[in-house]
Amino acid sequence: MRNEHLSYEDVLRIVELVKSTQFSEFRLKVGEIEVHLRRKDGEAAAPVPVRTPQSTPPAPAEPATKRAEAPATGGATLLRAPMVGTFYRAPGPGSAPFVEIGQRVEPDTTVCIIEVMKLMNSIAAGVRGTVTAILVENAAAVEYGEPLIAIRPDAGAV
Amino acid sequence: MNRAAGGSRNGRRFEFVDVTLRDAHQCLWGTRMTTAMMTPILGAIDRAGYAFINILGGAVFDVCVRYLHENPWDRVKLLCERLETPCDALTRGQSLYTFELFPDDVVALNSQLFARLGVKVLTVYDALNDNRNIESSLRSGHAAGMKVNAMMTYTLSPVHTDEYYVARARELVKLDADFISIKDPTGLLTPERGRTLFPAVVKAAGKVPLKLHSHCQSGLAPEVYEIAMQSGFRYGYTASEPLGNGASLPATEDIAARARRLGFRTVLDSKALAEVAGYFACLCETEGKPRGEIAQYDAALYRHQIPGGMISNLRYQLQTMKIEHRLPEILEEAERVRHDLGYPIVVSPFAQYIVTQATLNVVQGERYKTIPDEIRKYALGYYGRLAAEPCDEFLERANIRPEEAVTEAPAEHLEPWLPRLRAQLGSGASDGDLLLAAFYPPALLAPLRKPAPAYAFRTTPLHELIRYLGSRRDIEYARVRFGNTDMTFAAAQP
Repeated sequence: MRNEHLSYEDVLRIVELVKSTQFSEFRLKVGEIEVHLRRKDGEAAAPVPVRTPQSTPPAPAEPATKRAEAPATGGATLLRAPMVGTFYRAPGPGSAPFVEIGQRVEPDTTVCIIEVMKLMNSIAAGVRGTVTAILVENAAAVEYGEPLIAIRPDAGAV
Repeated sequence: MNRAAGGSRNGRRFEFVDVTLRDAHQCLWGTRMTTAMMTPILGAIDRAGYAFINILGGAVFDVCVRYLHENPWDRVKLLCERLETPCDALTRGQSLYTFELFPDDVVALNSQLFARLGVKVLTVYDALNDNRNIESSLRSGHAAGMKVNAMMTYTLSPVHTDEYYVARARELVKLDADFISIKDPTGLLTPERGRTLFPAVVKAAGKVPLKLHSHCQSGLAPEVYEIAMQSGFRYGYTASEPLGNGASLPATEDIAARARRLGFRTVLDSKALAEVAGYFACLCETEGKPRGEIAQYDAALYRHQIPGGMISNLRYQLQTMKIEHRLPEILEEAERVRHDLGYPIVVSPFAQYIVTQATLNVVQGERYKTIPDEIRKYALGYYGRLAAEPCDEFLERANIRPEEAVTEAPAEHLEPWLPRLRAQLGSGASDGDLLLAAFYPPALLAPLRKPAPAYAFRTTPLHELIRYLGSRRDIEYARVRFGNTDMTFAAAQP
């Protein structure tokens, strides 16, 4: 009776063998089960997912390593990313940006959000002054220490 | 306990809740089991004799949308239709599937939709064990005709004592929970703790039956399940053997054998269980996914308490930041952060909070220089009651003043959302669409409109072999012979 049916265990063993060999021709006889396989020439032994075209997560977005260096920002303080993350200019989709160029800010004014590992970090200006440049696109990936926003401190502001 | 040895338990049943389609692959496969992988074996799972089958949880819902591009409601509907065993779906209470809080009208609509799709048991937990956050789920779940299983999340801390869990269980009895579960997301329970905690909770629960949901990271869960049975728990959550153990839950086969040895009756069909296990063992191999391995006892687990799945996810995130080598430091810092924050339970979403804060502290070289907004809100009580006060160093760096503290129930300050969503989506929008729009921005939902593939609803080992050989682009010829069968496959010409 045993040989009338293929068991999951038999399949498991065959799959393991197929995966572990690189030979172009492969013959196997175990008891009453015989398997004979031939590979195409030079074909890499990479299976396509059996049923799950979508099963692997999309590769994470390439960090924008080649982004243009921050423009010269003579005299301005550069606010930098505290972590690798995603830069947001507004509190939510469709909301007005926290700040625009030319806007005056206080040290505790929230000027942007950096999303780190799914959590939102409100970033404060840290200085009293005027926003002179926004150096990163909304929703862009940012590297650790990357300049985000330039703020020209008021005369005498620390 | 003065029971006569063995005899008095004759006839007492211990029953099983399957997690193979939910938590098992969440823990072992990064939640990447597709509906197409489930459908061929549903018939055998249904015959296996489970009391309930858990089909949905927060991560499953989210991964369906974000990565598998499957409409989660379609999956719930299909599984409920195909399975005669009652289906159980889990939410994070007032947060449902995400880390946010939703108003009661969204929670209620979710319960109504579950019931309409065929869900029989709504399982619900709150990550702070603040039962105010599951009240509206209980109410709306009952109103929709479902049973509600309320979970208390287990953790280790000076404040999470047996008395603490007894008090939570009493609250759940008052809230009319149909079942009470102890959920141990990191496998921290030990047989010693079970011996005091379980009888105390069984007593507090009175007539409400108890379920145990414990993971296997410490390797102790199977023994812990034995203590639960002996203490009067009626159900255990388990997974098919290839997807049991490790970060997952115990194997059904193992726990069933233990139950029988202790004199409990089980109603499982071992032939069906073997078929299910054979199918998933093959699927692990053909899909290149890991099987659950019995974990070695790891003392460090009891300190940082971070689930295995989360550590592998963190390692991946650190790799992309090129700081993978700092993982041990971050795990040590996570233990301190948890203490500083007043012992939040290391479960979603607080596991993420702790790990992210620990990473920020280590990478910035200064503790609490950056504090995520969500962690500040947690400390203010916005998500619910804290188990203990955060430490002064944290409160000072977070600039939290006592008058900012939130004391009202977490969803109380939330206005209903449905009128706005209905206006946005138009009167033709289904309840499922309204809910998805409450959880996700439109861009994430667009891919869900693609038609579902044709699903196979039965399979055999031979089917699986053919499917596998057919999927290998490198094989141009295959012949398989056994018994009276002789089959030849040749690659289609390109």
